[in-house]
Amino acid sequence: MLAYILRRIAYLVPVLFVLTVVVFTFVEMLPGNIIDTLVGTEGNNDPEVRKILEKEYGLDQPVYVRYAKWLYRTMQGDLGTSLVTRRPVAVELMSGIPATVYLAVVGISLSMLIAVPLGTIAAVRRNTPIDYTAQVASLAGISIPEFWFAILCVLLFSLYLGWLPSSGYVSPFVDFWGSLKFLILPAAAIGFRQAAYTTRLTRSSMLDEMNKEYVDTARSLGFSERKVIFKYTLRNAMIPTITISGLQLANLLGGTVVLESIFAWPGVGRAIFEAIIQRDYPLIQAGVLVLGVIVVTINLLVDLTYRLLNPRVKLG
Amino acid sequence: MADLDSPRIAYLDTTQRAPAASPRLRRLTVSLANAWHELRKSRTALIGFIMLALLFAACVATPVIATHDPVKQSYRERLAPPSAQHYLGTDRLGRDIYSRLLWGGRRLVAIAILAVTLGLTLGVPYGVLASYYGGRTDTIAMRFVDGLLAFPGLLLYLLFVTLAREWKLEGIYNDLILVSALGFAFMPEAARLARGSVLVEKQKEYVEASRAIGDSNLSIALRQILPNIVSPLIVNATVRLGYVILIVAALSFLGLGTPPPTPDWGSDLAAARDYMETAPLIAAFPGLAICYTVLAFNLFGDGLRDILDPRLAER
Repeated sequence: MLAYILRRIAYLVPVLFVLTVVVFTFVEMLPGNIIDTLVGTEGNNDPEVRKILEKEYGLDQPVYVRYAKWLYRTMQGDLGTSLVTRRPVAVELMSGIPATVYLAVVGISLSMLIAVPLGTIAAVRRNTPIDYTAQVASLAGISIPEFWFAILCVLLFSLYLGWLPSSGYVSPFVDFWGSLKFLILPAAAIGFRQAAYTTRLTRSSMLDEMNKEYVDTARSLGFSERKVIFKYTLRNAMIPTITISGLQLANLLGGTVVLESIFAWPGVGRAIFEAIIQRDYPLIQAGVLVLGVIVVTINLLVDLTYRLLNPRVKLG
Repeated sequence: MADLDSPRIAYLDTTQRAPAASPRLRRLTVSLANAWHELRKSRTALIGFIMLALLFAACVATPVIATHDPVKQSYRERLAPPSAQHYLGTDRLGRDIYSRLLWGGRRLVAIAILAVTLGLTLGVPYGVLASYYGGRTDTIAMRFVDGLLAFPGLLLYLLFVTLAREWKLEGIYNDLILVSALGFAFMPEAARLARGSVLVEKQKEYVEASRAIGDSNLSIALRQILPNIVSPLIVNATVRLGYVILIVAALSFLGLGTPPPTPDWGSDLAAARDYMETAPLIAAFPGLAICYTVLAFNLFGDGLRDILDPRLAER
């Protein structure tokens, strides 16, 4: 197992290499360069000044040298300075992480709370009205765009019923109960959508497990149906569900851009979105890089957990 | 499943009744009848197919069935409710929503199809070749794919879209950037899927046989194995089309898609948010259109999977 873990970590190197190259290339491919911006503001287009500036910013060096230097700085935690706020990019991003994690974790938990019971019941009561309802609901959930669903929720619960605020954020560390009010709508929007996927998955892996021989054995030994399902099949069926939920969590940490901007949720996704609107390239670059690293790391952890939960999987 | 054979007889009859003008036409009729027969096995696929047929018909017929110019503003008729003049009412600038939906859908579906085709064109040969040659080639090729897969959700598209904005690309060029971003993003998934199927397929006898008669590696990989792994790819591509439509809609909802006044379901929906209280219907129609389209692709993809892999259908 240790050898496997080490090998998996070694596999991260090329993955991170591709990630950094893409992110670096992105800034390289932007039209113009930083000198234009600097010279532009000074109103000074003297070629001599340009040369000095180019040297100062290292733009006279070949691309791979600049990539190596950028990588070296990045690995030391120096992600650059925001063009808009003039604060270090790392600080800007870090300040968004708690909100994003809070939303993603609650959203995924909600999704599993809905999906696991629903998927299990649908599988056990297969081809009954409950099953059909679950299937139709999850198909609908997959097909509804999350932003539209979010808008409809706001329309119903904030504008018509007035029960919940339409947007905003209070840190749970400041006022836990107060923060819940703001959390409910975005978390529900995430939860329902992810639950649509997870329900289908739970249902089909439950059905898979229930067709296996050990279930017949357990039944023929006279175990109650309840025991067969809860003690044996559900446990096995949960393995893919947990894996997928982990991957969803990773994706949400990087992909809640839309919901974060609808609900004015001050997370990393919204920070990146605003950086795009304001053309704050260092922030875009660092944001995508940081989120990419987070996703890769969580994917690795999920994969390792999967092997732990399911020792039958061959390490390969 | 007692009447398993009766539809078969029915389809044989259709082929006999079909005018046997040329052998090619007859072959086409037979294969269409076969496809229809297969399609009827799954209610999901059938519903999805009908929904898609309607959608494509609407996309093709847009210039004929649209009643107004989608970008023509009319200040006297702002936020009008549905009427005989404007089937679905008008938006905040007095533009006909029905016509905007049609034109927007035509563009959206075209983008999605182009993007998925691009992803398949890049990803499938990549995966097939990587896995067919195996060994070190495979390992290196797949590490690269893993690197691309590491990009979370929307972020890759956000990078591309930002570049497109900075280069001041407009109209068709902007759409092409979007298409290539979505295509590239689909490439790793298509490559992995193709690779997985090839790993199974290349153990089979027919590959051995082709090798025995001296076919080249490239020809075996692309001409023998590829046609045998098509079904999982088709299913995946169909579901992916729905997903791509959601992504494009989300991007333009954020204001990062095609700039106005181009009709676009996502940005029309975003613009309608401000009138949510006074005229909620404007936000309803683009939303429903997106749901319908994505649902159609998902239903068809789901049903197709059941038909092509009957083992799964029993679940």
